[in-house]
Amino acid sequence: MQKKTRKERLIWLDIMITLLTLELMSYFYYGIRSVFLAGICVVTGFVAELVSLRFMKRSFTADDLTCTSDALILALMFPAVMDYHISVIAVLFAILVAKNLFGGRLNMIFSPAAAAFVFVLTSWDGQLLQYTEPHVKTGLFETPTNLVRSASYVFDHTGTFDHSDFEVLLGNFSGPAGAVSILLLVVAAIVLMMRRSISAGAFLGTIFGTGLFAVVTPMVSSRADSLKYSLVTNMVLFSAIYIVSDLRIAPKRDYYAFFYGLFIGVISYVLVLTGAKENAIVIVSVLFTPIALGFRHLEKKIDTAEQEHSEVNAGEAAVTAAGEEAASHE
Amino acid sequence: MNDRKKAMFGGVLGDNIVLSGLMVISPVIICGDTLKNAVALIYAFSAITFLSVLISSFVPKKLPYTVKVIIYALISALVYIPVKLAAQEFYPESIERIGIYYPLLAVNSLIVFQTEAKFFRMKKTDMIISLISCIAGFDIVMLITGFLRELFAYGTINSRIVDVNTLIGGLSQPFGGFIFLGLMCGVYRFIRGLVSNNNNVRSDADVSDK
Amino acid sequence: MFLINDLIALLAANLILSQALGTSTIFIAAGSRKNLVATAGVITIFTTVGSAAAYLIDLVLQPSISDLRLLFYTMVIGVLYAALLVAVYKFGSRWFEELRRYIHLSAFNCAVMGTLFTINKRASMDGTVFNLGGYVTAGFEAGIGFIIAALILTAAYRKLNSSKVPASFRGFPAMLVYLGIISMAVYSLK
Repeated sequence: MQKKTRKERLIWLDIMITLLTLELMSYFYYGIRSVFLAGICVVTGFVAELVSLRFMKRSFTADDLTCTSDALILALMFPAVMDYHISVIAVLFAILVAKNLFGGRLNMIFSPAAAAFVFVLTSWDGQLLQYTEPHVKTGLFETPTNLVRSASYVFDHTGTFDHSDFEVLLGNFSGPAGAVSILLLVVAAIVLMMRRSISAGAFLGTIFGTGLFAVVTPMVSSRADSLKYSLVTNMVLFSAIYIVSDLRIAPKRDYYAFFYGLFIGVISYVLVLTGAKENAIVIVSVLFTPIALGFRHLEKKIDTAEQEHSEVNAGEAAVTAAGEEAASHE
Repeated sequence: MNDRKKAMFGGVLGDNIVLSGLMVISPVIICGDTLKNAVALIYAFSAITFLSVLISSFVPKKLPYTVKVIIYALISALVYIPVKLAAQEFYPESIERIGIYYPLLAVNSLIVFQTEAKFFRMKKTDMIISLISCIAGFDIVMLITGFLRELFAYGTINSRIVDVNTLIGGLSQPFGGFIFLGLMCGVYRFIRGLVSNNNNVRSDADVSDK
Repeated sequence: MFLINDLIALLAANLILSQALGTSTIFIAAGSRKNLVATAGVITIFTTVGSAAAYLIDLVLQPSISDLRLLFYTMVIGVLYAALLVAVYKFGSRWFEELRRYIHLSAFNCAVMGTLFTINKRASMDGTVFNLGGYVTAGFEAGIGFIIAALILTAAYRKLNSSKVPASFRGFPAMLVYLGIISMAVYSLK
């Protein structure tokens, strides 16, 4: 138990480190506003967690710090110039409604960040899906001007992507503050998988599903371009790491997690391809919650069956050994 | 409060049909997004339910259960006709907005099932008081839901604009209704738990998830 | 690809997630997995057969007396309710006691009646749906939608009723919020 508790904290630390590097990149492109937004989200998340734990009569432990990573994930999915009121409401929704109402980290059902993102999408899609260009630094309380649609939106609707590979790798294209730094995301994915802080099966499944369909039914004439841009746009990489592969939600066994991720990848790609649905992967990951729960239930049943089987085998072995011993004594 | 009083007046707070019994929740979720809709639904629900249960109480009790349930449903379908005709005079706009949920009020479980399970086991006067308290329970929830959802989704109160800083458009949608009603149910139970000093208001539903 | 789009369309047209029809029924049935599946099955029978009868009513009912539609639909469901009970008693008396309660629960509720009214509304707006096949298909789809919603709820049933959920929200309130969030995701796909 002690080991498990420690592990949860380490996972949070790993995730936070990778998120902070993304936030640093966001600061480079969008300035102090991006950091301030992230700070507001994290503080709101922390306070909401404290208050709700108090209502649930539970004490705050280091494991409950996951509320801050959830809030930071959400902040990184927003445009850097997102309205502060909306951000606060979104984080409150994530922590109070999508997480603690169902029992908090001990009984997770939804990814709090994903549920809150969809919540914002349904009420403030105009604010959520309009961004400033990189290197346009907006003051803390300045009203943003010259907002543009994301590069994902342009790609989904026109099939064009006017940025060099170098710009793509560094995240120098319009989109959510933290979900465009592709090089950092790739490094984060490798590190988190190696440290077992995300579900490798779910991550690889999502990438494989999206990639496979991007090659089989390409969005643009070149299959290589289709594969490349399908993975870097629509927050696919970011969501694959921080939402789909969330260890609290994804199936525990890599085998099942792979298929869980695969389905999410395939369905979200089809939605982008046929309906040009921006950031479909986040919506699909919320819709796939019952599937994740189903897989987890199945895993529990398999574990129980395996345990019973091993107990029976151990019992039989003990009886046989006792019988042999008795026979040798005779 | 003794058991008799509890059975008679519990419908308002102690055993609210929407928040506790989860009856007639579809109209609350879908149509309870403005005060005008709420008032129109309150009128329809109150009139149809009160008259239907009252008339149904004269149905012979010796009839088989299935036959009685069908008769209750038919009575409420008949009561619905004059109520709808009158509503067309008073709430013409809301009728259009409420749409199919108007006739659905006539097959609500308070009329079809609670009549047998609860009301017809009481004396006539007790039954009427209990029925009124159940209806009042629905009306209160409907009013609160309509008021709050209209305020935060549209920034208006009874179609008059008020100063709300950030509007939550999703609250006017069906999913907003689900989430709002879920939160309201939880808050209701929490308050009820505080009042009765019993926080385990639904301990019977515990499922071990080990 | 088309299958995925059809699946999404079916989810978007789901009467529980998009119109909250039958929510009370699904919560009452949510007592156990067996209850949910059985109730969803019986409701599918009611919506499918009921929509065929509703077509005949809509065919003969004049618009001037459309307020009588509820009465006629109630009669149809009443007859179907009695017929189903008799049929189960005659041909499956062994399971009668068990099946009876599902039939009682599934007959008069928003899921069934709401389906009939929704199909009627759809047919009045789109003439191509106004035929027996269109009605029966829509009724069957509504039943399938109920089954899907039942499965979605069943998947989370244990977690929503877990002792880890705060007592005030355990059970029905958590179920409402859970369905709300799923419904929100479906809505955002539209």
